[in-house]
Amino acid sequence: MKIAVLIKQVPDHEALVRVKSEQELDIENRYVCSFFDEIAIEAALNIRKNHPESEITAISAGGKKAVDALRRAVALGIDQVEHLGDESLEMADNCYLAYVLAERLKAIQPDLIICGKQAGDDDFAATGPMVAEYLNIPHVSAVVSLGSDADANQVTLGREVEGEIWYLESNFPLLITAEKGLAEPHVPVVMRVMKAMRAQIPGIPLNELDLKDKKQQGRLRRLRYTVPPERADVAMMREPYPQNAAELIEHLKKNGVI
Amino acid sequence: MMCNEIWVIAEIRQGRLTRSTHQLLGAARKLADERNLQPAALLIGGEQVHAEELAQKIPLVLRIENSGLETYEAVRYAHALRQLIEKRGRPKVIMTAAGSSGVEFMPRVAMRCDSGYASYCVDLFWEGEEPACRRPVYGGKVYEELAISTVPAFFTVRPGVFPVPENLSETGRVETIPIDLPEDTGLRIIERKGISPGKKDLSEALCVVAGGRGMGTPENFKLLEKLAEVLDGAVGVSRAVVDAGWMPHDLQVGKSGKTVSPGLYIACGISGAIHHVLGMNTAKVVVAINKDPDALIFRNADYGLVGDALEVIPELIKAIKSKT
Ligand SMILES: Cc1cc2nc3c(=O)[nH]c(=O)nc-3n(C[C@H](O)[C@H](O)[C@H](O)COP(=O)(O)OP(=O)(O)OC[C@H]3O[C@@H](n4cnc5c(N)ncnc54)[C@H](O)[C@@H]3O)c2cc1C
Repeated sequence: MKIAVLIKQVPDHEALVRVKSEQELDIENRYVCSFFDEIAIEAALNIRKNHPESEITAISAGGKKAVDALRRAVALGIDQVEHLGDESLEMADNCYLAYVLAERLKAIQPDLIICGKQAGDDDFAATGPMVAEYLNIPHVSAVVSLGSDADANQVTLGREVEGEIWYLESNFPLLITAEKGLAEPHVPVVMRVMKAMRAQIPGIPLNELDLKDKKQQGRLRRLRYTVPPERADVAMMREPYPQNAAELIEHLKKNGVI
Repeated sequence: MMCNEIWVIAEIRQGRLTRSTHQLLGAARKLADERNLQPAALLIGGEQVHAEELAQKIPLVLRIENSGLETYEAVRYAHALRQLIEKRGRPKVIMTAAGSSGVEFMPRVAMRCDSGYASYCVDLFWEGEEPACRRPVYGGKVYEELAISTVPAFFTVRPGVFPVPENLSETGRVETIPIDLPEDTGLRIIERKGISPGKKDLSEALCVVAGGRGMGTPENFKLLEKLAEVLDGAVGVSRAVVDAGWMPHDLQVGKSGKTVSPGLYIACGISGAIHHVLGMNTAKVVVAINKDPDALIFRNADYGLVGDALEVIPELIKAIKSKT
């Protein structure tokens, strides 16, 4: 089976991110492979355990930091990686990025494409569905389980839909996005980390792709970044137990919260 | 071809229109009024009673009809919407709730219509003649405002961010529009199961009562359920609770779980790790109950109570029930 995994390097959850100006952010230099993308990588590796002939390619589109995501993929056990494009993609909107990825995927022709449910930076949750639409293949978002019965023709999978879990069956090609629970990312072994540090990460420049469709560009325009609304200082309950419970409820009732 | 409309895709769950749908009808009416557009509700599949109920709240209801739409599926929804747009013209805005189906099919439709899409919006407004949104990025550490220059503009909106409008009384019109669907999309549903049967939907709830490792044991979550019940709320949990196998993952709030924006969020025995806070920091009012006065959660709360959650919760229930 041919599998493609789409991954992205994003700021760590704990990194400081602040508004520098309307058009610019100050982001602490702590980047990691996006949380759900590591789950996607692990899911691909799990399939390969059952189907050793499977070929996995990890692709990351974007500027230089994409290379680090791909090194992580190598450290986790993926042999083929591709760095797509350049810094210009860092400013591109979600549709354009999906278009670029989809154009590359047309050449690879994977049976299964796996992405993270959403990226840890823009939280769009759009790349997977958009790539699938462009390639005209079915997709399922937020997949929590993949049947181990996957064969060359079809796979069963589970996904959460508003308080329910749906089990589906799909033919290939198919795109899925990975939800927590789909796979448990492992800690890479030191040997692989060393190998990853030395690995050549092949780059594919945008001019090698057929990107003539101008209507894919510039659908979103960032107006500005803003500071999130601040929560006022916390009001601590002063009464001793058990009066503090009544004190709290009184506040909530008085302010129309309950 | 354009049409001067704003569409809200209605959601039905357990046979009822969701609260988010009502909230979005209000938001759509306001946006439409500001630019002299016609607000409309879209019912994909769904029943006549739902169409009629919507018609009491909004002047125009478009009911897309095909027996293949009875069960939700992203590819079919994308086909259906694309056809409706071809028949009626491109509306200015199409919006729906950012639930698990909304964020699945909307990007597909946007791609199919060569148009722009923004997810998890917390506000919608006009920037000149362009529809625009505000949305949290980097887990809510900052917000961004985006305008969409292509028509239609596609938005999914976080449940809970707009108020449910009061006193909507319309005598709206229902138009039924038949569409064609592909026979086979490659996907088949084999089984549907409830994960947490009888539990209220976390992302829709106006009040979330959340418990962390500080609740001590899985059995103690019954207490939390009682508190949720008197507040007509849903139960949420921290990841520590899911990892310990006390509660299922679909109840997890946080960066790797659900993002919630209820009117009231009560955190019981939750330390307030950034990963958790990123999933609830858009709640309107946050109450924290923790026995550690230095717990991080107090920095993200409006009201704090230092104490043992297991002792405090029964007292809270008593106080809520008392009429004074
Ligand atoms: C990549 C990543 C993603 C993550 N995603 C999430 C996520 O989505 N959601 C999430 O929640 N976490 C997430 N986490 C985990 C997060 O960092 C915390 O470990 C987790 O939130 C802690 O859960 P907790 O507050 O229940 O437990 P603890 O941190 O153990 O805190 C328990 C709290 O309960 C208090 N307490 C103890 N007993 C009582 C009592 N009787 N009464 C009152 N208070 C009491 C203690 O003072 C303490 O503050 C993630 C972590 C990583 C690394």
